[in-house]
Amino acid sequence: MSEYINENPEVLDDTQLPTRKDEDNELLFNTTGSNSYLDRKKMLLRMDNSSQSQVLQNIDLLDKLFALHHHDTPDLTEDDESIESFDDEDFDQIDAQEIYDLIAHISDPEHPLTLGQLAIVNIDDIEVIDNGNRDEISEVIVRITPTITHCSLATLIGLGIRVRLERALPPRFRINIILKKGTHQSENQVNKQLNDKERVAAACENDQLLGVVSTMLGTCK
Amino acid sequence: MSLNLVKALKLHNEKIWDIDCYKGLLATASTDRRIKIVNIGDIGDGLVSDDGRLLDELDDSSHKKTVRSVAWRPHSTILAAGSFDSTVSIWAKDENDGDADGDGGVDDPSSFSMELLAVIEGHENEVKSVAWSKDGYFLATCSRDKSVWIWESDEMGEEYECISVLQEHSQDVKHVVWHPFKDILASSSYDDTIRIWKEYDDDWEAAAVLKGHEGTVWGSDFEKNVNTDIVRLCSGSDDTTVKIWRCVSNESIEEDWICEATLPNVHGKPVYSVSWSEDGLIASAGSDGMLVIYKENKDNVWEVVAKHEHSHSIYEINVVKWIKLNNGKSYLATAGDDGYVNIWAYN
Repeated sequence: MSEYINENPEVLDDTQLPTRKDEDNELLFNTTGSNSYLDRKKMLLRMDNSSQSQVLQNIDLLDKLFALHHHDTPDLTEDDESIESFDDEDFDQIDAQEIYDLIAHISDPEHPLTLGQLAIVNIDDIEVIDNGNRDEISEVIVRITPTITHCSLATLIGLGIRVRLERALPPRFRINIILKKGTHQSENQVNKQLNDKERVAAACENDQLLGVVSTMLGTCK
Repeated sequence: MSLNLVKALKLHNEKIWDIDCYKGLLATASTDRRIKIVNIGDIGDGLVSDDGRLLDELDDSSHKKTVRSVAWRPHSTILAAGSFDSTVSIWAKDENDGDADGDGGVDDPSSFSMELLAVIEGHENEVKSVAWSKDGYFLATCSRDKSVWIWESDEMGEEYECISVLQEHSQDVKHVVWHPFKDILASSSYDDTIRIWKEYDDDWEAAAVLKGHEGTVWGSDFEKNVNTDIVRLCSGSDDTTVKIWRCVSNESIEEDWICEATLPNVHGKPVYSVSWSEDGLIASAGSDGMLVIYKENKDNVWEVVAKHEHSHSIYEINVVKWIKLNNGKSYLATAGDDGYVNIWAYN
């Protein structure tokens, strides 16, 4: 028996999941604020000349502040762009982070936790082939890591991810959901089922199954 | 050689899974549970009006789920439709409507209508494909329940008796097709094989299993060459290839088949449909939206003679069929996830 890869996942808090904000300014300011908000905060910091100020005693933080001051601030409004607006743009490239954001908050069918928290979906296991041109066919490959190797719910989890992506992504995307190698006893069977468009279409007309999937997707943001 | 779009018809707001065309009458099967009957016979005649093209929209309360497959019964205006709701519906044109001279053509589009003749039940779950034998005597249906059923029908198309249930596939049966002149049936499956069935002693028997594809076989089609006794079949698969199979011995009930060729691999994604024309050309289409035509040269080598990318823009193509229009010429019809039926001329 191979070693369970994700048998006892370290449950992550929602705030620990990778987000685009992390990469940018969130390290410094725990906020999703706009540029003007950042500027105002910097002003306030400059006004505070007290040597007791924690901010001034924190060299690292000061360094970051300076760096921020001398460079262009990343435009955070990008993040607010909704999926629905794709039709209005000729080019809008989609990356792994966006795919992750769409599926990480899906609930696990048997735990009160999300797929991101259980590390069933991981940003490093998402591959996107997309040049942003809506006239070209694009591809997304999501490799999922079930929590136990014989997990019969793997198919259901995969179906939930597929339904979420089919609903949210522009039609140019071909979606491949596969189990990460070595994580499941009947890998090939599950993969074949998850990527058979006819079976998926029929599953989506099964009211009972659709009810379960809707509950799973209910926690998506 | 060129492959040109002659007509694009937006017929459904959801996926079109299947089409069938007979004497200029096009029938569609869609996720929206509707079947549309469209007059396309004159499309090859140059600039023609699209008024009155839509002849009828069949009662959408008949099927409770996706209509997956449609097939016109030869020499008639009887239509069979298979649905994910596990039933098959049979429709017939009201004989008093539309066709004053009774030739099966459409004289008065405004009064064309089709009525429900019968609903056939028997499959346990989704019916994936329906097909009539060469003379319309047999109807074959197949399902995710792993079985193929053969039904015998009366002349009016009202009565159906199941004469055989073929259960040798180990997984979903995706598609069934009859030989154009012989009572031979081919079924394609999720178990990666194609099975050949023949009538023997008043029953239907497995004649051969064709193994070679490395993924679901989505569909197949027989060669339609009247000048030879050789039986050949082409098949399209999830493994992205199109293969040619040939029967090399059929003296007993058990036949020997070989995989004769794998066509040049142009598709980068699953092939959902193949069609073999009366002129010997093979067309294939699928997930990558590419429409490809192959021809066998004098050395019996298959070559790609035409291909067209993004034939339904960025959408998947579910079905391709060679059809004949009123001008007697062959065209290609394709249908896809975009809800369009496209008609192509190959010169």
